Amino acid sequence: ATHLTENGEQEKPLRDYSEALEMWSNFQAKTQSLSQSLSSQLRLILTPTQSTKLSGAFRTGKRLNIKKIIPYIASSYKRDKIWMRRAVPSKRSYQILLCVDDSSSMADNESHASASSSSSSSGRLALESLVMVSRALASLEAGQVGVLGFGTDVFVAHSLTDPPFASSSHDAGARVLQRFTFRQDGTDMVRLLRATIDHFRDARLTQAATSSGQDLWQLALILSDGLVQSRDHARLRPLLREAMEQRVMVVFIVMDDAKGKGKGHSVLELKEARFGPDGVPVIHRYLDTFPFPYYLIVHHLEDLPGALAALLRTWFAEVNS
Amino acid sequence: MDEPMVDAPGQQVKVTFTTTETDLQLPETKRQLLVPADIRRYGLSRILNSESMLDTGSIPFDFLINGSFLRTSLQDYLVANGLSLETNLTLQYVRSLIPPVYEASF
Ligand SMILES: [Mg+2]
Repeated sequence: ATHLTENGEQEKPLRDYSEALEMWSNFQAKTQSLSQSLSSQLRLILTPTQSTKLSGAFRTGKRLNIKKIIPYIASSYKRDKIWMRRAVPSKRSYQILLCVDDSSSMADNESHASASSSSSSSGRLALESLVMVSRALASLEAGQVGVLGFGTDVFVAHSLTDPPFASSSHDAGARVLQRFTFRQDGTDMVRLLRATIDHFRDARLTQAATSSGQDLWQLALILSDGLVQSRDHARLRPLLREAMEQRVMVVFIVMDDAKGKGKGHSVLELKEARFGPDGVPVIHRYLDTFPFPYYLIVHHLEDLPGALAALLRTWFAEVNS
Repeated sequence: MDEPMVDAPGQQVKVTFTTTETDLQLPETKRQLLVPADIRRYGLSRILNSESMLDTGSIPFDFLINGSFLRTSLQDYLVANGLSLETNLTLQYVRSLIPPVYEASF
């Protein structure tokens, strides 16, 4: 079915609705326990813990602020706010964008063996992960979840302000899965990062207008086979710095399906050949120039909850130290 | 250092090498490779012969894609067949039967 958008643009064909609905229910049933495991690990991370830091200057408190002692004496004991208190941790809320690679490298496109068995591909693993993670986040009820698709361009499959994915109705989920057909003939990661940063900037402003005193946590999870044109690696670095300055965390989850591929076909093993000025070929490991500081390689869906939670814990420890 | 490689590469395409020549098998971990999209038979031969691949010096190779010999660049092959750079091309290499011809570019 070909659709026209409001702007009259021709839209890409969609996956059949009933097929998408069946996929969502199957994936949700299949990943239910993983989803629960992820959500309980994330709840621990998101729940504000008692701050161990003592700070501030008060008339009464837990411990003396040494820096205030000299001014206290010098002022003839008038400037008496010399005590530190435990800071009250602020409540955390999140906005999470799940960015799913819709390019055709995600499908089984080994040469032009056209009979693609969608049972084993990075695309299928990405969609299963999408269902698992979005269900885990929905059950936390602590923030907003959006879904972006990317390939040669970027599209919004589920907006941050759309209602969350409910466990009872699979309609919203099915509408998201309909958008992913893995037929885009490019993987423009530069465009994705630009769109993600802009999206989060707008979302932060909207959030700030409606609530206050909350510690907003913005996270982009990129679900992709990791195959990006190497010449884009250098162009991604300034964008990743910009994301960091905006306090947007970007985690790249490399879908490296172990079932569908034979030995030696992992992105971990992938090399690239370039010719030096003397025409001599030089061979490097592809991941050596991969620009994402936080990335996970997932061979099996079961690996994802633990690995993702561990990475987010590490990151939280870093930003809060 | 931000960028360990000096020259910014051009477009790349992912290939998987296969062969039926029993004495010229690549280890499994070396069969998939990203190569410049404008590469031709000569450049592919140089890569296969290089130390980090077969380490065979200068055997001239021919390459078959879907049963026919590659006579253009990979890029041109993709365009001619309506394929994008997202395609993983399977290249079957064989010892060239044609005497090595000096090609103007590789
Ligand atoms: Mg791709």
